[in-house]
Amino acid sequence: MNRITSTDVGTSIDIHQHLWPEPLLRVLERRREPPMLVRGGEGWALRLAGETEALVDLDDHDPDRRAALAGADGFGRVLIAPSVPLGIEALPAGEAEPLLAAYHEGVAALPAPFGAWAAVGLAAPDPAALAPLLDDGFAGACVSAGALDSQAGCERLGPVLELLERRDRPLLIHPGPAAAPRDAPSWWSALTSYVASMHTAWYAFIAWGRRAHPRLRVCFAMLAGLAPLHRERLTARGGSTGADAGVFLDVSSYGERAVDAMVREIGVDQLVLGSDRPVIAHRELALGDAVRAAIHERNPQRLLCGARVEAPA
Amino acid sequence: MSVLDRAELRALVARIAAEPASWRDLVRHGTPERHFEQLWRDDDVDVWVITWTNGNDTGFHDHDVSGGAVAVVEGELIEERLVLGGPARRLRHRAGETFDFDASHVHRMHQDSAAPAVSIHAYSPPLWRMGAYSVEADGTLRRESISYAEELRPVVAA
Repeated sequence: MNRITSTDVGTSIDIHQHLWPEPLLRVLERRREPPMLVRGGEGWALRLAGETEALVDLDDHDPDRRAALAGADGFGRVLIAPSVPLGIEALPAGEAEPLLAAYHEGVAALPAPFGAWAAVGLAAPDPAALAPLLDDGFAGACVSAGALDSQAGCERLGPVLELLERRDRPLLIHPGPAAAPRDAPSWWSALTSYVASMHTAWYAFIAWGRRAHPRLRVCFAMLAGLAPLHRERLTARGGSTGADAGVFLDVSSYGERAVDAMVREIGVDQLVLGSDRPVIAHRELALGDAVRAAIHERNPQRLLCGARVEAPA
Repeated sequence: MSVLDRAELRALVARIAAEPASWRDLVRHGTPERHFEQLWRDDDVDVWVITWTNGNDTGFHDHDVSGGAVAVVEGELIEERLVLGGPARRLRHRAGETFDFDASHVHRMHQDSAAPAVSIHAYSPPLWRMGAYSVEADGTLRRESISYAEELRPVVAA
């Protein structure tokens, strides 16, 4: 596993990509129940519970090709996150374990520039399963927004979050499985349930998560569904939140308008690069070199390595 | 949530200036560029301690929708206020002095003495976008809209 260290200052770090490594593809092919890969007339397709099949281009998951794309994007380090919307983590433990093991084995063997987030089985969230992965160099753990959308969810994952906190490793919160109505456009879940679930996880963290885990560094994917922009409404409704330097937001899928609005709301220091490749191709934000240096280099370092990082003079 | 007015901002920087324990460790002398540390940020205001050396110069700029106040706590800073058709109005702010401005204000801050300067800055609402001014060879004034990061989170952080 390629660890990210504080010596990587000056390196662009994309904290949010997905790649299904070979061992995971093999297990998904062998399955006879969703989530599974099936070969049809048009090639490989992903079958998820309650959703229509979606074609999969396995070239998107070729490590060499992806490493070349990372190089072309100028990313010195890339963290692979588990594809939480597949619903692997939520399967019964006996079904989830071979898939999670295949993911961890596969991403741990990826060449530079890749590192990875560990996945957490939700049937019985187990810090003892996470600890050796952190020992092996996984950057932190990634869980679905739906698993942390309530006090009960935060408590259920409490021991895992405590381990991350104790080990000074971050948590990535990512949208989870979502069923779209039949014949819905391809973007339906991304613009409805993903946004709503990230939004809920953001406010659940304010209401319960932060109190229980005062030192945990947390990164919300996709700007937390723009949840922080609702702070005026939170105040109007009698809530309050102060600045929280331990919370980060990745900019995946958003452009200049949303990112600049977030800069206005929370400042530039807590925004990090997350491209969500191969779901979305990376696009540079035209917000200036200083914003780029903060989002691509300094802030991901602080998210991943904790201590304040001084850039070289 | 409420925006601080000029008097409130000035009182805030004066109060923080009088509490060096809250910022003294964040002063960095000897860096080639200005050194910026954020002391506080909330819905209404952000507060910074800035160390100046070697003739550091902001160039003429505005703060878009934010008003601000500055307390000089060490050394001296020169403030120039842009005057069309005439020389800039030049003010010298010495240690122990404070000044404030509203969002319509255009100025340039620089440091011209051998001794370094340290200042406390507060902006309300928190600094977001800024205008950076330049003058073309023919005298045309240009304004570029920049993120506050360009000013306070420069690419090469000292």
